[in-house]
Amino acid sequence: MTEAHVRVENLRKTYQTRTDEIEAIREVQMDVAEGEFISILGPSGCGKSTLLMIVGGLLPLTSGTVAVAGENVSKPRRDTGVVFQAPVLMPWRTILKNVMFPIESLGLREEEYIDRAHELLEMTGLSGFADNVPSELSGGMQQRVAICRALIHNPNLLLMDEPFSALDAMTRDLMNQELLRIWEEYKKTVLFVTHSIREAVFLSDRVFVMSPRPAVISEIVTIDLPRPRELAIEETPEFNEYVAHLRGLIEH
Amino acid sequence: MANSNGGKNLFSLISQIGGPSVIFFVMLVLWQVIVILLKVPQAILPTPLVIIETMAKHWELLMIHSWPTLSECLMGFGLAVVVGMGLGISLAFFPKFHNSVYPLIVAFQVVPKVALAPLFIVWFGLGTLSRVLLAFVIAFFPMVVNTYAGILSTDPLMVRMAHSFNANRWTVFCKIEFPNALPYIFSGLKIGITFAVIGIIVAEFVTAQKGLGYLIVFAEGNIDTPLLMAAITVLSVIGVVLYAAIVALEKMVVTWDVGQDLH
Repeated sequence: MTEAHVRVENLRKTYQTRTDEIEAIREVQMDVAEGEFISILGPSGCGKSTLLMIVGGLLPLTSGTVAVAGENVSKPRRDTGVVFQAPVLMPWRTILKNVMFPIESLGLREEEYIDRAHELLEMTGLSGFADNVPSELSGGMQQRVAICRALIHNPNLLLMDEPFSALDAMTRDLMNQELLRIWEEYKKTVLFVTHSIREAVFLSDRVFVMSPRPAVISEIVTIDLPRPRELAIEETPEFNEYVAHLRGLIEH
Repeated sequence: MANSNGGKNLFSLISQIGGPSVIFFVMLVLWQVIVILLKVPQAILPTPLVIIETMAKHWELLMIHSWPTLSECLMGFGLAVVVGMGLGISLAFFPKFHNSVYPLIVAFQVVPKVALAPLFIVWFGLGTLSRVLLAFVIAFFPMVVNTYAGILSTDPLMVRMAHSFNANRWTVFCKIEFPNALPYIFSGLKIGITFAVIGIIVAEFVTAQKGLGYLIVFAEGNIDTPLLMAAITVLSVIGVVLYAAIVALEKMVVTWDVGQDLH
């Protein structure tokens, strides 16, 4: 059997408060293959973002193991890119300089990545905005910049923490379509946290359903819909069957 | 955005300065007219024209006393900027240091530092050192507090973002926390320069050696109110120019949109 790209075993995460211990994640097992698009779906506050941050090496785990490419994760890895709920662009930098930030902080040679930065901006329809500042861009455009930034150092694993939850429904649809296009192009492994069922079905190869806190993975649903997917797929009965099935799992 | 259109900027500059200038001019005219109509003695309140005349007559004297005021003010302010920012950064970097030192800094701020002037004379004499140190202790506090608050106001998610790309503590400081603190630091600079001028003038009152503060006390002693007002005018111009220089620097450095809380 080939090594899973992301493997989570017996993961448990508790927080110590002043008075007692809060169990955020009780028990999570995950195996994600190279190039897979995985959504982690669950209600707000169920610990799915916590799980993602642990995989990203940004939060410590309490017990269990998380391994990426066969190596235990204890700090952020150089081959991982993260997109957060907010674009968190630096307002004092131009769009291009924002996209280039990981190259600086990873200590890579900037001149080797500048072409890639332009290519990513072009890929996301932002080529005309390289020298603009973030406040001149809409929320959706800013989040696209954040995606470019997460991909600039050519990571194998992309972690996305409800990246489109702050956007309006129409922009969100467009962003989802665009994300799939980027994914088809670059074929990264993606872990995508969301509380939108339709978004999860539209994007994913498999959906991991998380229960409310203390979290466990209650179900894994394989989305067997043809790719490449267009928005029209959301009108098909198959798509809506998946949506109904997942809704049943979450609401029960 | 800033610097995008020179002509537009010039226009907005004129419209920004235009209103206050007109009001200022009208006030001067009113002042002139009222003093003449009410026959106010010159020793109580000279007219603006008399003040301007006095400035022209005593120009050399005013300049001789302006230089020490300006240079000592800049020394005290510079010291406050360097030490204040250094301490503000240290407070943000070392929470334990902050916990033990910050209450003391706040407690010290409650001391009316003008009252320290006589003590400084006892310790450091009547020379430049006393005056510079008084300007320093007054201007220092806003620098510490604003630098510290600016660093602390950094969005934790932005720091996490930087960590996700393997940024170390130093990178986070240089590329995120410090630029984020710049608008706050400039607020501190603007308050600090005003305070430094106050510090120098009070110190000049007390040490009575040289400078515009000394000239003010001297003119008051001679009941030479026109000279007193001329000195205050020159002092005000120095204050405005220093403040404007910082605002100009801020416009060059902080070119991005800052949340309304700082305007």
